[in-house]
Amino acid sequence: MLSGRAAYIADLPFQDVLYVAILRSPYAHAKITGIDVTAAAGHAGVVKVWTGADVLPKCAGLMARMDLPGFVPTIQPILAHDIVRFVGEAVAVVVANSQAVAEDALELIDVDYDELPVVASIESAMAAEALANEAVPANLVYQGHRCQDDVDGDFASAAYVASGRFINNRVSASPLEPRGCVARYEWTNGQLTVWSATQMPSFLKTMLAIHLAFPEQRIEVITPQVGGGFGQKAHVHPEEALVCLLAIELGRPVRWIEDRRENLLSATHAKHQINDMAIAVDGNGRFLAMRNRSSTDGGAYNCLPWTHLVESHVGASTLTGPYRIAHFNDESLSLVTNKCPIGAYRGVGWSAGHIAREILIDRAARRLGLSPFEIRRRNLVDQNDYPFTTPTGLVIREGTFVQTLDRLEQMVSYPSFRERQASALASGKLLGLGLCIFNEVSGVGTRALSFLHIPVTTHDTATVRVEPTGKITVTTPLVAAGQGHLTTFAQVAADAFGVPLDDVTILAGTTRNTHGFGTVASRGAVFGAGTIGRAAEAVKVKIRRLAAHLLQTGVDQVTLSEGRVHLIGHPDKGMPLADLAGAAYFADATHPPDFDPALEATAAFDPADVVLANGGHAAIVEIDIETCMVRVEEMFAVEDCGRMINPMIVEGQIRGGVAQAIGMTLLEELVHDGEGQLVTTTLMDYLLPTSIDVPDIKIAHLETPSDLVPGGVKGMGESAMISAPAAILGAVNDALALVDASLEDFPASPQRIFDALERAAAKNAIPV
Amino acid sequence: MDEDIGQSVVQLTINGESAAFTVPIRTSLSDALRDKVGLTGLKQGCEIGVCGSCTILVDDKPVRSCLMLAVQASGCRIETIEGLAGNGKLHPLQASFQRHHGLQCGFCTSGMVLTALALLRETPEPTREQAREAISGNLCRCTGYETIIDAIVDPDVMSDPEFANG
Ligand code: FES
Ligand code: FES
Repeated sequence: MLSGRAAYIADLPFQDVLYVAILRSPYAHAKITGIDVTAAAGHAGVVKVWTGADVLPKCAGLMARMDLPGFVPTIQPILAHDIVRFVGEAVAVVVANSQAVAEDALELIDVDYDELPVVASIESAMAAEALANEAVPANLVYQGHRCQDDVDGDFASAAYVASGRFINNRVSASPLEPRGCVARYEWTNGQLTVWSATQMPSFLKTMLAIHLAFPEQRIEVITPQVGGGFGQKAHVHPEEALVCLLAIELGRPVRWIEDRRENLLSATHAKHQINDMAIAVDGNGRFLAMRNRSSTDGGAYNCLPWTHLVESHVGASTLTGPYRIAHFNDESLSLVTNKCPIGAYRGVGWSAGHIAREILIDRAARRLGLSPFEIRRRNLVDQNDYPFTTPTGLVIREGTFVQTLDRLEQMVSYPSFRERQASALASGKLLGLGLCIFNEVSGVGTRALSFLHIPVTTHDTATVRVEPTGKITVTTPLVAAGQGHLTTFAQVAADAFGVPLDDVTILAGTTRNTHGFGTVASRGAVFGAGTIGRAAEAVKVKIRRLAAHLLQTGVDQVTLSEGRVHLIGHPDKGMPLADLAGAAYFADATHPPDFDPALEATAAFDPADVVLANGGHAAIVEIDIETCMVRVEEMFAVEDCGRMINPMIVEGQIRGGVAQAIGMTLLEELVHDGEGQLVTTTLMDYLLPTSIDVPDIKIAHLETPSDLVPGGVKGMGESAMISAPAAILGAVNDALALVDASLEDFPASPQRIFDALERAAAKNAIPV
Repeated sequence: MDEDIGQSVVQLTINGESAAFTVPIRTSLSDALRDKVGLTGLKQGCEIGVCGSCTILVDDKPVRSCLMLAVQASGCRIETIEGLAGNGKLHPLQASFQRHHGLQCGFCTSGMVLTALALLRETPEPTREQAREAISGNLCRCTGYETIIDAIVDPDVMSDPEFANG
């Protein structure tokens, strides 16, 4: 990677390759009344032009559904036919001998549109005067509840009710590398090879087989180096199916590399929720009950596989977090709008609800004169409560919530912060402190998905082979999009066999050998450790058996360490692993009776229960009253993700996630106008955080090993985007509270801060 | 392809060797280096000069190669990431990125490293703030920047005799 030699999708060389450019809809909702592609098709260098009518007989579109009562599935066409439903939806495709020619020819395509009424907001989706997608009655994909406790009594008796309407912004995961896909069809053997910058290669393979009615055993999906995914590349995109269809049709490699504008327009959006939340608190600051109604602006179609449910619906599952909140009453709505589909982005549906909850907790603390640490301490689940079952049915058996809180309190040195805050105020600066304590449903497998009410079964496999010279080859379906997984996986195998890291090679990046759901939802470390650990164990059983036979001892007396197989406690009584492997492969006479010498095993893994990681974040921000700019002055993170295979990688995930949290809360916003036009289509309008925006981050670790995963690993890839946004916006509100202002509409841009200050000034100016 | 569009010959020095290629006049330097010269180490994250992932050195200065036409580079001295690592060894600055975990997906890395290299040649002992400022035009979506800054200010980079060979 460092030498510039790692090949990303756009770097791969292909003989005879054709280039793709996609015409995208300029309207949010319109009827296509005519398309004329004659001029484009006749343009020199153009090989093929397709519209929706050409593709429809080959593929009806991507069908995304969830087996829940009342869920309304949608079909996203590969190319729109008849109707476009969001700005940026693919309408036609040009295939040409060069990218420039393909793009030039796009301009020659003539499309006539008849505009239809646009559903551009959650409010208009709910009003349902117009439908965003006629397949979805009342614009409602799904309406559900996790809990319907009676909370009226709690709210009536509460000493204080903290409540608000929190409008979370629509954002884009924006990996620095946009999406891309190349497909090649070899008619001589019927093989379809697909290179895609995807986080879910095995799933993509299966979905291509189903949606294109293509024999799955003849599809191979190869993942090159991926330039970041963060969930956005954990979908099956219509463009991937399109490129495959074109490759099959044309018999030449076909290449689609999107540009940034295309990415912002048409790669899944995220986080767009409104949460109407209230928490009832008694006079001692104890939480009695929580009420929430969460609505997702889901876009025109369900994404595959997560659907609209990836936001509010999933978010509701952990809304009460690690707090003892006895009664919970919630509702989540997923609404279609004329926008790009909502999809997975680090922290998924959890980010928005955590923001609302922690801001309300701080509000209650201020009202009751408690410190933000004290009010949380009074409500956190602690060791004595285990096992603790949350209102949504999550059983918390472990977790270091109170320790996390204590550690954060020390790290921010709370009393001196309040002094600093007071003296800053005297000199016209608003400082604020915010925090969030969370647990993360990590390493998401079948049990976790079922807890999230996402009825999907997943498992992964890995193959481990001890080579004749004692070296280890591991094959995994997981993709490395920068999380450092390959090193982590090699470490798992090296530890299992007691050999140096250098003796292990990880083969990844193709669906040819193993199966898996994907590198999403903090699965990588957990499933890597789980599958590799289990496969290694199966091979080690044979190694121990052979060694015991040779050492004339029992199998339980044999262990592997320092590159040797030996009697426990006696490294000298044994042999190098290489010699033992050599014996297995080449020396039949050494084998015990009925010995199967294959030093290779494939094993599947799916955690037996929800793997819960936990932690917390604190933020200190400064608001400049003149410019209304918010600056994150300090960030603190405490993380308990079980045993850390490699702390540097864990910290890298935290720092990267916190930077994204800063972006999401202060800078990034996909802005649509009333007609559903996306206004922010470049990185000059859609502002990603730079090195100036992100401070150095202070990190502390707690380690509570998981007993559900070999090696005690827990996932933590989402954590910073679950909790750091809440800490930052909590800090913004803490600062604003100094002047009796508050903010519930995000991101905390200078304009919104200005408006919040104005509102407070106006309120205070009213004579009583 | 592109036969009907005006072509131009560009002569320049790339990583110490003279080179020449013919491209349509409208071709950006980044496209030309990637497609004509095969130097795919520079990445394209935005193609409008915002992300910095296409940064290369032109006459020692960090330049966004997506904003420059290939023809404008005629006669210039260009350095790309491919010129740094040699003989199976990483350049000390690259080794420092590796030591400090200054990259995750790696997509921003070549632009970051070249930007940092230009800084270190001018300012051999940068402060953290100088390093932070220098890379402020290079977006990274993965690392949060801190470990990139760690890698740049590590004094072992400059004290390595191999530094000047980059
Ligand atoms: S690709 Fe040149 S600055 Fe982004
Ligand atoms: S390492 Fe991925 S963008 Fe910087």
